Amino acid sequence: MTTRRLTRTVWAAVLTVLYLFLLAPILVVLVESFDHSTYLRFPPEAFSLESYRQVFANEAFREGFKVSGITAAVTALLAMATGVPAALALTRLRFRGRSAIEAAFLSPLLVPHIVLGLALLLILAPIPLTDTYWGLILAHLGVSVPYVVRTVSAALASADPRAEEAARTLGASGPMTFWRITLPAIRPGLFSGGVIAFLLSFDETVISLFVSGQNTVPLPVAVLQYVEYRSDPSVASLSVLLVLLSVAVVVLVERGLGLRRTLRS
Amino acid sequence: MADTPVSEGHLVLEALAKTYPGKDGAAVRGVDLTVERGRMLAVLGPSGCGKSTTLRMIAGLVEPTAGRIRVDGRDLTDVPVHRRDMGVVFQSYALFPHLDVARNVAFGLEMRGTPKAELRRRVDEALDLVRLGHLAGRRIAQLSGGQQQRVALARALVVKPAVLLLDEPLSNLDAQLRSAMRDEIVRIQRETGVTTVFVTHDQQEALSMADGVAVMNQGRIEQTGTPEDIYERPERPFVARFVGRANLLDGTVSGVEADTVAVALPGLGTVRAAGGPVTAGAATTVMLRPHRIALTGAAPGSGAVRGTVLSAGYAGETVAYRVRVGDAGPVLDVERPTGAHASYGPGAEVELSWDPDAPRLVAAEEGTE
Amino acid sequence: MTAAPGTAPEADPKATPEAATAPVRDSPERPARRRGPARQALVLLVPGLLALLLTYALPLVWVVRMSLNESGEGGLIRQTVSLATFGEVLGSSHYGNVIRQTVELGVLVTFFTLVVSYPVALFLARTTSRWRGLLMALAIAPLLISSVARTFGWMAILGRQGVVNKTLDGLGLIDAPLHLANNLTGVVIASTEIYMPFAILAMISGFGRLDPALEHAAASLGAPRRTVFRRIVLPLTLPGVLTAGLLVFVLSLSGYVTPRLIGGGRVFVLATEIYDEAITSLDWPVAAVLSMLLLALFGVVIAVYLWAQRALEARFTGAQEARS
Repeated sequence: MTTRRLTRTVWAAVLTVLYLFLLAPILVVLVESFDHSTYLRFPPEAFSLESYRQVFANEAFREGFKVSGITAAVTALLAMATGVPAALALTRLRFRGRSAIEAAFLSPLLVPHIVLGLALLLILAPIPLTDTYWGLILAHLGVSVPYVVRTVSAALASADPRAEEAARTLGASGPMTFWRITLPAIRPGLFSGGVIAFLLSFDETVISLFVSGQNTVPLPVAVLQYVEYRSDPSVASLSVLLVLLSVAVVVLVERGLGLRRTLRS
Repeated sequence: MADTPVSEGHLVLEALAKTYPGKDGAAVRGVDLTVERGRMLAVLGPSGCGKSTTLRMIAGLVEPTAGRIRVDGRDLTDVPVHRRDMGVVFQSYALFPHLDVARNVAFGLEMRGTPKAELRRRVDEALDLVRLGHLAGRRIAQLSGGQQQRVALARALVVKPAVLLLDEPLSNLDAQLRSAMRDEIVRIQRETGVTTVFVTHDQQEALSMADGVAVMNQGRIEQTGTPEDIYERPERPFVARFVGRANLLDGTVSGVEADTVAVALPGLGTVRAAGGPVTAGAATTVMLRPHRIALTGAAPGSGAVRGTVLSAGYAGETVAYRVRVGDAGPVLDVERPTGAHASYGPGAEVELSWDPDAPRLVAAEEGTE
Repeated sequence: MTAAPGTAPEADPKATPEAATAPVRDSPERPARRRGPARQALVLLVPGLLALLLTYALPLVWVVRMSLNESGEGGLIRQTVSLATFGEVLGSSHYGNVIRQTVELGVLVTFFTLVVSYPVALFLARTTSRWRGLLMALAIAPLLISSVARTFGWMAILGRQGVVNKTLDGLGLIDAPLHLANNLTGVVIASTEIYMPFAILAMISGFGRLDPALEHAAASLGAPRRTVFRRIVLPLTLPGVLTAGLLVFVLSLSGYVTPRLIGGGRVFVLATEIYDEAITSLDWPVAAVLSMLLLALFGVVIAVYLWAQRALEARFTGAQEARS
């Protein structure tokens, strides 16, 4: 019995240490974000919201936020517009070469971003589309489409095809069936596909490094450049703000969807 | 259906066939079926026999490779699913998870542009018919399996379909609910009088619910008839074996009389059986249902069929025996009600007997046809 | 019940097929599905395929093409088809070191990540605690924060004035600060943490076959805890560990942010070299060749993974049965 308790204690201690290791940088970032000194020190000398103020005062961060927001929104829209029909074809239609095309749609997930970034630089530089919104959007589109196809395909696969058949037998035409039965069934999948595409683009660092320049600098690149030469805590504050923002967006949209669902029934 | 006056069929399938590309053999190979107006037909067969494909072809969900589908004489073969006017209840029910009960039922009427007031009235009627009026506002996920089944029925019936099609309607319910729903479906079918075809692999379901049964095997209809025809007078060994339990004994016709046939069965002697027509000398098969065979203690010297009990399995209401006839004769399944007979253990010497109408001729496999 | 839906068709003209077709609105002559699914599929697939072609396939072809060019004086590119740049890169001792360090980093990071992730994944897969949801969320919470921010956090922990050195100094355990940043050690530590959530997720989804009933069954058959782990838990979890290993190895081979920030310009791996050649030195043929080498490395890793997977499968299923 005692060896059992000992095993359990050791096990709990090991897990605690591993969780501490895993969460260490987040905790440090959180604590640092309330520091106001001009260089990194731990623990901070005094707690203040000074570095949060600095985030909003930082022109590069403000501009980067705008660039990333616009790029991510357009990328998500384009990825949905091209990825959803593809997912529909891959899950609902039988045709020759289906599995090969499916593999092609997922293959960008296997290519490292450092290589894709270089590839996009090589092709966008001569046009020239580097350091522009459209360059960033095209660069992000390729890595976003596979996630949309995968998420929406999964949603379509779990939606009951028999329900679509039932709608057909009840007199609904093909487009009517899609609109009234399929679309509502995959709405959560569509939503998460769009959000994933948006967040991927918003967070994309390596590919953006290759195709952005001085004029169109997305937020992750601005942060990377800032961290490389300065070590004050405003990056920590910015990270905390971004996490709060993404959590808020997810919660708000979830609420919105839930609300609509309750209203309907 | 022997007692109904002859009328033109309401639903008629003519040489309906389906071959899937890239697969050997046809899923359905030429099915001819006629269902009279207001009747309920069960299509009975093992899984993979093509019964579901046949049902889906009637519904318009699968395009037939050959053959025609008619309702009231009108050819529907090329009419698309959504204009075919078939009420379909799917095995999984296929209810719309994002709509509540009433809106599920209303869907077909909405597609037909039914005016609001009439739509509401007919949805209420349909829900009353399946006794779910009180659950109209429920979400599908909040319903039990039996309730979902009823919603699926109401949704299919509310549009007053030409034909109601049920795909394995009871297979997703537990045993107790199943027998209750069996009665429910029969009641609803009687009340609405809708021509109904249902597909099942369960012979009990087919025999107890339907007016007519079509037994299907390997893409073909083996036999069509009333439940009694199918059980008592199977025309083929497959039907005898699939519907109920049967001892099938191969032999040779030794004599043909007015209404019985004498068949010589190796190891068993000559047995008189009803059925035919056959000619003397032909190979044939005799069916003996296990519960039609009686067992008594062996009386030495009697001319009856004698045997040895190999095993006895107690099964509550009945005891299932396996009995070897003679020393090296065939082994017969025998089923006797518990308590109504003296029980025998393995090794017991017994005498087997049966009523004269118990043995039936079934055509030898691939034989007479 | 004469008013009931589906009343006998004789009594209700609505139920006859003639009436049935009338109220249904659209009326194409032939059903849509008969147009052939292949044509429909083409229409639906074209936008997506076009997007992939323009933003992924074509650029990759460009890289392959670029790797066959040669770089001339002053950032000029000599258009040719030769393996000269490959030869130049493979013959140089600098790039040899880069490749060696890339593989070394990948191996170290993969090893440590698996070691620290396995207990957490095993715990999360098996626990029935009511805190499971929260602990699961905590394990993947780091994914919410960009790797740049987490790397920044590690800089604050590992730096000369970082948490670790301050603490150790405060306790009087060290005289001079430990060198934990601007070198391979720091990159390995930070990368291990950064890939941990990925490894935990991959392991848990690979542990699907781990059923507590199996452990109970083994214990009831007389196996001590250690044996239960060795004979039941380990074989069932190894495929998940292998998948996690592949994922982490591939991610760390191509990781750029952490080597650049924590490495402080002193850790050279393929990813940092590709960026520097492309952006700083403007030597695109060399950058392209380094990319091809990285992809080749990927190929080797995936081949090893497939081989190991097959070997595991054989060892723990077929062979085991044959032996006993």
